[in-house]
Amino acid sequence: MKLPGNDILIQSLINEGVEYIFGYPGGAALHIYDAIFNQNEIEHILVRHEQGATHAADGYARATGKPGVVLVTSGPGATNAITGIATAFMDSIPMVVLSGQVATHLIGTDAFQETDMIGISRPIVKHSFTVESADKISEVIKQAFFIATSGRPGPVVIDIPKDTTAPDKLFDFVLPESTNIRSYNPPVEPEIKQIKRAVDAIIDAEKPVIYAGGGSINSNASEELIELNKILNFPVTNTLMGLGVYPAEDIRFMGMLGMHGTYQSNMAMHNADLIIAIGARFDDRITNTPDLFAPHAKIIHFDVDQSSISKIIEANIAITGQVKNSLKVLIDELNKKTNMIEHTKIKPWLTQIDEWTDQHGLNHELYKENSDTSSILPQAVVQHVYQITNGEAYVTSDVGQHQMFAAQYYHFNKPRRWINSGGLGTMGFGLPAAMGVKFAFPNDEVVCITGEGSIQMCIQELSTCKQYNLPIKIININNEALGMVKQWQDMNYGGRHSESTYQSSLPDFVELVESYGHKAFKVEKNSDLKSTLEKAFSIRDELVFVDVYVDPEEHVYPMLVAPNGSLKDMWLSKDKKV
Amino acid sequence: MMQRKLSVILENKPGALARIVGLFHQRGYNIESLHVDPVKDVENYKDIEELLNITLKENEVSRLIITTTVSDTLLRQILRQINKLIDVLIAQEESK
Repeated sequence: MKLPGNDILIQSLINEGVEYIFGYPGGAALHIYDAIFNQNEIEHILVRHEQGATHAADGYARATGKPGVVLVTSGPGATNAITGIATAFMDSIPMVVLSGQVATHLIGTDAFQETDMIGISRPIVKHSFTVESADKISEVIKQAFFIATSGRPGPVVIDIPKDTTAPDKLFDFVLPESTNIRSYNPPVEPEIKQIKRAVDAIIDAEKPVIYAGGGSINSNASEELIELNKILNFPVTNTLMGLGVYPAEDIRFMGMLGMHGTYQSNMAMHNADLIIAIGARFDDRITNTPDLFAPHAKIIHFDVDQSSISKIIEANIAITGQVKNSLKVLIDELNKKTNMIEHTKIKPWLTQIDEWTDQHGLNHELYKENSDTSSILPQAVVQHVYQITNGEAYVTSDVGQHQMFAAQYYHFNKPRRWINSGGLGTMGFGLPAAMGVKFAFPNDEVVCITGEGSIQMCIQELSTCKQYNLPIKIININNEALGMVKQWQDMNYGGRHSESTYQSSLPDFVELVESYGHKAFKVEKNSDLKSTLEKAFSIRDELVFVDVYVDPEEHVYPMLVAPNGSLKDMWLSKDKKV
Repeated sequence: MMQRKLSVILENKPGALARIVGLFHQRGYNIESLHVDPVKDVENYKDIEELLNITLKENEVSRLIITTTVSDTLLRQILRQINKLIDVLIAQEESK
């Protein structure tokens, strides 16, 4: 079969099972857009800004596990996509970004809308390709999807000079069945010797903790983790990226750890004699000061990326491989030695953790307050959303206090339900990510928990939601300030609120959202909160935005004492430090 | 801290060298010297062919020699980061 480059590209994407392309057209991508027009198998979603396209593809990828696909034009189209690519890179999300480029003969001439996309994106991609000619397109697409989804996943950029997708030159089109890149062989199976060492360490442990992160979700290892802990009954904590991989309602779940982790999770990590890290990378929000991190713990580290192991904290037992596969082997080996696992040995440790929880655990019943003598607490807003959605919604968030409240108070029992920018911390992520999730799961509840700062960074996507009729619920936790910045200024800068408030310049969100053609409600009183949220969630066929004015003085606690603190050093309230 | 010589065998493709140089900057490592050549004497790379189970052809790969002064721990991390690059066949410390 002979086809022009633009059709070869689209056929190759169809062959990869692509359902949606999130994109925005422009000169250098017009041949490709013409090929999109002439087919029905892939739906193109027209966003309002390329950053929105990348976050929407990212949300789709996080919720489904399938790669998100983005199409942008050259120059500003490509540079606008950068923040979203970096977001996906930091959280190891599979994504393929197709960027238009000026024609090959114009590259390097400072042509109109020319920018060196390969150069600009190099530090924030897993890999990138420039299409040299149309007959290379199908192979490049095959390799790009393979790289994006295998090993430690990540974004791959394909830069496509305009001439390679010209409609008037035909090329033989052969779909590659599979691909092999000789210089790329990501590990899959663990070394059995290391698994056996891990089993011995597990049997010896008296104060163990399982610390599971985003890698365990990327590897779809939730079932294995649950099965493992049926054998072990060890306390479990999740990173911000790992929430949902272990059921939050399980008795052994201690909540998130780290900067705003629960008291019991941080204390358990600090005092542990064994930490089993599964797809987690000991980043600075988790370890606090690395030299002071978990001084008595032996570390078993499961990861697919060898360069993540012993990068920050030296692992005693390193297990490289897909964590799903590694956990399966671990379970098999443990099952051979069940007679050696003494559950009584960790009893005092479990009792100690229960005591920590009783002492300073989070209060999950703040939503019961309905008196108008006090302001609405942001935590209570999240708790109400959790109650109303029965804990079954897909929840996306932006970045800041509302994100931490959502992570602390919405209990995720399944993986891929909590969609947030953990590594890069990208404000503006929540709304477009929710769009991507809604396309993937149109019949499920999708909630974006955001703040008045973050939502304004990608608010133009309300227009996209109208075009495609996406009935997302947006809960705007409005404290009329950049809350997390303000909290740090309160804690560490003598309360000097440098550039963290807007001086009465916020829009009327209800009018704004209504002008985009959606429904919106405003809540200012505790007594209205529950009923308004229930009303919002009862509307099934429209996007509803609830603007909730909350106590602007509220802080997120616990909060690790930094710099020079360990995981046991926390602020528990504005004036209580342990 | 001591001076190390790293040897990297990478695909001779446009942009491959830039990825390695960029990685040093991105991760805050310092390059003291750098030398790159396409590999012509493939018969001297039998050990690598055997290790990776591949056959090399003339000018198909490049050999990059980098010197840098780092600790043992950082050296291990640098090599792992370089080995992770898709176009890199193998990165190792040059035996003395």
